Amino acid sequence: MIELIATAESVDQAKALVDAGIHTLYIGEDTFGLRLPTSFSREDIQEITQYAHAQQKYVCVAVNAIMHNDRIKKVQDYLAFLENIGVDAITVGDPGVIHLLQKNQMTLPYIYDAQTLVTSANQINFWAKRGATGAVLARELTYEELTLIGEQATVPVEMLVYGATCIHQSKRPVVGNYFNFIENEKPEEKQLYLSEPKKPESHYPIYEDINGTHIFASNDINLMPFLDQLAESGLKRWKLDGLFTRGDQFVEIARLFVEAADMIDKGMWTAEKMEALNAQLVALHPTERGLDEGFFLKDPADVK
Amino acid sequence: MRKILKKPEVLAPAGTLEKLKTAIRYGADAVYIGGNMYGLRSRAGNFTYDEMREGVAFAKKHHAHVYVAANMVAHEGDVAGAGDFFRTLRDIGIRAVIVSDPALIEICAMEAPGLPIHLSTQASAANYETLNFWKNEGLERVVLAREVGMAEIKEIRENTDVEIEAFVHGAMCISYSGRCTLSNHMSSRDANRGGCSQSCRWKYGLFEMDEFGERTSLLGGEPEEAFSMSAVDMSMIRHIPDFVENGVDSLKIEGRMKSIHYVSTVSNVYRQVVDAYCEDPDHFEFKQEWEDELWKVAQRELATGFYYGTPDEKQQLFGARRKIPVYTFIGQVLDYDETTQIATIQQRNNFGIGDEVEFYGRGFTHVQQTVDALWDEEDEPIERAAHAMMTVKMKVDVPVKPFDMMRKRK
Repeated sequence: MIELIATAESVDQAKALVDAGIHTLYIGEDTFGLRLPTSFSREDIQEITQYAHAQQKYVCVAVNAIMHNDRIKKVQDYLAFLENIGVDAITVGDPGVIHLLQKNQMTLPYIYDAQTLVTSANQINFWAKRGATGAVLARELTYEELTLIGEQATVPVEMLVYGATCIHQSKRPVVGNYFNFIENEKPEEKQLYLSEPKKPESHYPIYEDINGTHIFASNDINLMPFLDQLAESGLKRWKLDGLFTRGDQFVEIARLFVEAADMIDKGMWTAEKMEALNAQLVALHPTERGLDEGFFLKDPADVK
Repeated sequence: MRKILKKPEVLAPAGTLEKLKTAIRYGADAVYIGGNMYGLRSRAGNFTYDEMREGVAFAKKHHAHVYVAANMVAHEGDVAGAGDFFRTLRDIGIRAVIVSDPALIEICAMEAPGLPIHLSTQASAANYETLNFWKNEGLERVVLAREVGMAEIKEIRENTDVEIEAFVHGAMCISYSGRCTLSNHMSSRDANRGGCSQSCRWKYGLFEMDEFGERTSLLGGEPEEAFSMSAVDMSMIRHIPDFVENGVDSLKIEGRMKSIHYVSTVSNVYRQVVDAYCEDPDHFEFKQEWEDELWKVAQRELATGFYYGTPDEKQQLFGARRKIPVYTFIGQVLDYDETTQIATIQQRNNFGIGDEVEFYGRGFTHVQQTVDALWDEEDEPIERAAHAMMTVKMKVDVPVKPFDMMRKRK
């Protein structure tokens, strides 16, 4: 069965996503998790977990930040909290966290998520042997590579089917540094974008938070047209990222994927159905943001 | 008198066999090189197995080590043959491999037991539990993320006994290494497989956008400054005591693509400072000439990265660049005859009569000389050494020695 994972930006949205049929909510606190639509309090995480569990749904918490000493100290208490409230899994990208899980004999299942670095089945299987129950794939993988990984990985792999792709994380405040240099106030509330020198139409989102500066691909990912291919290749854990698609629109888009997954599972998926859902998705997607299939259709030899 | 016996290793880059030998002659305790596969510098000089053998033999003679960087993040199919590769390196006598991808770590550990593994900075290790994880996996050393501060190093040292390597000099990624795929998305080149096109150093537009896609540029400055993320280079030459006192095992110099001039100069300076500090740490005084020497091979401004705080705008390349005087590498001394005061020199760049040149050598020796007499191999007087790699003779008033290098200011 296809499993849909979605980020949430509020307790209300989390509940709406569960009600819409999402299987797993992906939430967390930004001290330990990367690029989340919101940084939830522990009370909220607990409330969301209780709500999801009451509907036989799951919660995965992002603990995938690159940890420095201060965070690796603080994370122990957070891990204990997450284990205590019974979240179903965490994502981890820093082996220091895995070391703590082992050392403290914790039962919290972890999904390996080192973002850009997760690019082969061999690598995923290395972590599977060390307890990982799954892995989140890098976004820079082609369909051919995804299929090979799906076949050879010994644990389920998860991939982004809708939403933002981070392509750069710096610990430096590079936006703030720029505004300091030009001696202008940094606009705090507005979403900022970069454009490439040779592609002035490009619009890469950029922002700073507690984990540094993050840059995202110009367009968001949309794999709605290729979902049947994914399912046929056994790639059945699909993530929806709502970082740049807020509120009800994101819930509505999640609903489209729930419907698509259901039809694919039942063998009722058709080209017409796909076209119809895709058209709805495009209409719901923020107009200032583009959509494309990322690296999905590329030949592995195209990017070397 | 206190004396430090366990000196940190000075680890230099070597893009070619000649650079390997130069780095070791100029004081490096170890060098790191690339093989033909699995590395991150697809365009840097990489070593064949035969060149590695020669490099290892040379290093052995000088009690130095050779490491091989195999720090790509592999995709499906990339690791084919890696077992043979690692076994061959081990049998050649490579002292350790520098790896970031766990898939390659596993292959190396399983198929080439006995070959020590160092975790590459690409893996962004930034806390002591991460180092403990890799220690338990059998790794010998961890190269820290370049985002780790000096106070953090101290704490890491107190909480793990795996070897620590830290960058002290050279160019830096503005991102956490490995966590940047700007090149993949902008240039169709895989940054984590040796294809980085340095997109961070490009000049970008910066703007906000309303829901209709209408843009408002936020660029400012007079004249207008493009948005960029270009980091200045690192130099920790003034802070060697901090590394020594905090128990860092290896001081890494960046730059496998850099010239023999760079490799010799930087190795020479770090060797001097490490030795001077460890010899008598309580009376150590930093000499300005050490830093001045590094400026002769600098391509960008120099700064301390994350070691003493989060880098501000002064650690990025904005605005009009200060002109850093450029020195050209012009020759290498092959021989010196003390009775005639004639040096035999292999030319590396055009120079001639009237040029003010500087010889520098191992042990931080310097000789200034004006070129006033020059002969070719047939002892015919010449005006200029104009042909690449030609052997020339030149009057030098003060003794120089074989392998001394010769530079002049442009």
